[in-house]
Amino acid sequence: MTARDTHFKCLNCGHEYDGVYDPDKVTERTCPQCRSNSVRRLPEKKATAKK
Amino acid sequence: MAEELQKPSDLRIGVFVCECGLNIAGTIDCAAVSKYAETLDDVVAVVQNKYTCADPGQNEIKKAIAAHKLNRVVVASCTPKIHEPTFRQCVADAGLNPYLFEMVNIREQCSWVHQNEKELATEKAKDLVRSGVARARVLEPQTEAEVPVTKAALVIGGGVAGIQAALDLADGGHQVYLVEKEPTIGGIMAALDKTYPTMDCSI
Amino acid sequence: MMDVGRHPKVELMTFSEVESITGFVGNFNVRVRQKARYVDASECTICAECAEVCPVAIPDAYQQGFSSRKAIYLPFPQAVPSAYVLDMENCLGNNPIACGKCAEVCEKKCIDYDDQDKFVDLEVGVIIAATGMDVYDPTAYDEYGYTRYENVITSMEFERLICAGGPTDGHFIRPSDRKAPQSIGFIQCVGSRSRDGRGNPYCSNICCMNTVKDTLLLCDHYPGIATKVFYMDIRAFGKGFEDLYMRSREEGVRYIRGIPGTVVENPENGNLVLTVENTTTGQLEEHELEMLVLSQGVIPRRDGDQIKHLLTLSTTSDGFIMESHPKLKPVDAPTKGVFIAGCMESPKDVKDSVTQAGAAAARASILLNAGKTRIEAITSQINSELCNFCGICAKVCPYNAILAPDRKAKKAPIIIQAACAGCGACAAECPQDAIGMRHFTNDQIMAQVDAILAVEPQKHLVTFACNWCSYAGGDNAGTARLQYPTSCRLIRTMCSGRVDEKFIMRAFRMGAPMVLVSGCHFADCHYISAVRWTQKRMDRIWSKLDRLGIRDDRLRLEWISAAEGQKFAKVMRELEDKVKSVTKEEIEFTMKVLAEEEAKAQEKKAKRQLEVTVL
Repeated sequence: MTARDTHFKCLNCGHEYDGVYDPDKVTERTCPQCRSNSVRRLPEKKATAKK
Repeated sequence: MAEELQKPSDLRIGVFVCECGLNIAGTIDCAAVSKYAETLDDVVAVVQNKYTCADPGQNEIKKAIAAHKLNRVVVASCTPKIHEPTFRQCVADAGLNPYLFEMVNIREQCSWVHQNEKELATEKAKDLVRSGVARARVLEPQTEAEVPVTKAALVIGGGVAGIQAALDLADGGHQVYLVEKEPTIGGIMAALDKTYPTMDCSI
Repeated sequence: MMDVGRHPKVELMTFSEVESITGFVGNFNVRVRQKARYVDASECTICAECAEVCPVAIPDAYQQGFSSRKAIYLPFPQAVPSAYVLDMENCLGNNPIACGKCAEVCEKKCIDYDDQDKFVDLEVGVIIAATGMDVYDPTAYDEYGYTRYENVITSMEFERLICAGGPTDGHFIRPSDRKAPQSIGFIQCVGSRSRDGRGNPYCSNICCMNTVKDTLLLCDHYPGIATKVFYMDIRAFGKGFEDLYMRSREEGVRYIRGIPGTVVENPENGNLVLTVENTTTGQLEEHELEMLVLSQGVIPRRDGDQIKHLLTLSTTSDGFIMESHPKLKPVDAPTKGVFIAGCMESPKDVKDSVTQAGAAAARASILLNAGKTRIEAITSQINSELCNFCGICAKVCPYNAILAPDRKAKKAPIIIQAACAGCGACAAECPQDAIGMRHFTNDQIMAQVDAILAVEPQKHLVTFACNWCSYAGGDNAGTARLQYPTSCRLIRTMCSGRVDEKFIMRAFRMGAPMVLVSGCHFADCHYISAVRWTQKRMDRIWSKLDRLGIRDDRLRLEWISAAEGQKFAKVMRELEDKVKSVTKEEIEFTMKVLAEEEAKAQEKKAKRQLEVTVL
């Protein structure tokens, strides 16, 4: 598994943004808008559908 | 001494509600919480104390364990970070396995943070006690493993604090490894000229 | 310093860094990297001939750059060990053809250009961390002109200029014209008690008294020098401090209550003109001084992260290391067997550092003298009958405490009790529920969930908090009396990595409107990396909620450190509104869906068990 582009969604304020997800190097997520950590990595299929 | 409550069960839980002076009782109606605890299944004794952690409070726990043959103890007081070890020791002294003790935090996480909502805080305290009692029912006795302690110490940092700690340990007869990042020990203090309040040389 | 160098019981390892620490209280394995010194410290006689022939001159950091040193140098005359060191970054070359002069003149032949870093493995029972502090860099306070004006110096630079062993042999001169100044000013709180973000909000503790000391040194050495101190408050709270402060005032040092707004250099004479509001008189004043000292504050070590991670220490909001309890366990780290002392814990002076170091040594001695200690019974245990040999547990264990199963031989994993720290990530990840945590069993946590939601479930925010950070953050909010709504019902686990999908689903199934999982920030995780599994698991559960038609934002995740009482209270306030926004219908729907799920799962399980019995 390697790093890949992923779509993130903040469950606190609803802000959505693109980022990189590397399953081998999991980093702490913080919503750039509201600083919440309830940031969900959207499943890949859905990410493209939403875009 | 608390009156014994009649419950049809092998589980015999004692609940000890602490007022912590006014720290808890100033916000939470401790009598109401105690009364509520009496209604919970398997609770056979409820004691309310001004300071459960003080000797008289601990003695109440020990007495109740003996008198009511308690096999679970729940203390509703402060954070377990402060007094869980105290109460574990207390129940162990009374012959109960220390892991059959459960602590409910109604101070840091209730009375102190809901000072203006006395009724709701009391309701929350009741919920927390109910949850603590529920957990207590399924607690299991545990034995702690004893591990040896290697008789040597590592001190990281060779400034004034590290040097002092290393010397004290070494003078006490212990082997010490003092690790310093720089080519010499001394740290910041070695760069000072004189030090207050004695105005003497730093090195 | 000398005492510790020659103490038979102290093995001094200078120019060394801790590379790794494994193990637990009483049984730490430490790997130390001894950096190549290129000079045999035991042979060096500090004859100085090597430095004499060395052609490289670079600024001497010890003298704050006021003088130079060679590439091969003695850090300072009283250095321990008393030996030269070769700074390979600045050496012309470890190839003797390039230079090699020092090795040529060294009679004892103790210079070795091929010296290599060495690794030493130690076994210790206790660790005392005393990594110290750094000083605040005043560059950000541009109005003081530290980077523009030569005669504006820092308090550390002052120490070298006034010191008999300093670059000027103790002749106190100003840098621009090397003349002894007739007037000098001190500006206090540079980088301390700052609310504008350029400095730190805390008081650095030592700078007031350091300046008082400096003024007295000046009065002693240079009677008649006009000294002015610009301050907000003089904090002379310690034993003997007020006496010194009064002596300084009696010696004629002027204390002016007010922090200068601007400092401008007079280009003609290099003097500095300060504009300051004297807040005692309410007047705007100008002061021309020949020299200016910035009383710089104390900051946590800039390179402190590695030790912090190795020892799983946390910091308070000011960046200094957090103690186990601020009053009752001031030198214990939350990690058992680890103690802290000195400025690593908070800014403090020499006396307080020595006091704290003595306390840390005494605390450590308790363990060393006892020769044994007890480990809390919270480790993980496996029921091999339920195991299907998938090996996930071994994969998630941050301590490598689980020996992987052997599927072919049908051998279940083995949990090394002594290495297990009790985070519970394995128990939460085990798909077979074959792993349990002592004292934090599934039954115990489920019982708490059920009990919380037995009365008015729709009003309660079920919160899972890890013992070390979030729970402590909640306590911190309490200690600070930060008020927040009463909806939170908290369940403590040792690590957020323990929070099983089952617990969360059970909470929703029992009618919880919202569930919050909270744990340590990744950098603070007390179980190395267990918290990473929490985040991964949350992604999985969010997807599952989606699939079941349950709003994903009813399950929240927040990282709250032990120092973040503010954040704890803020999250509680924010989630209160969300709890209210979840409708009765929504909760009922959720309960119905999850009840069906549960029934399905049970059916499946029964079927499987039947198959097993038939087989």
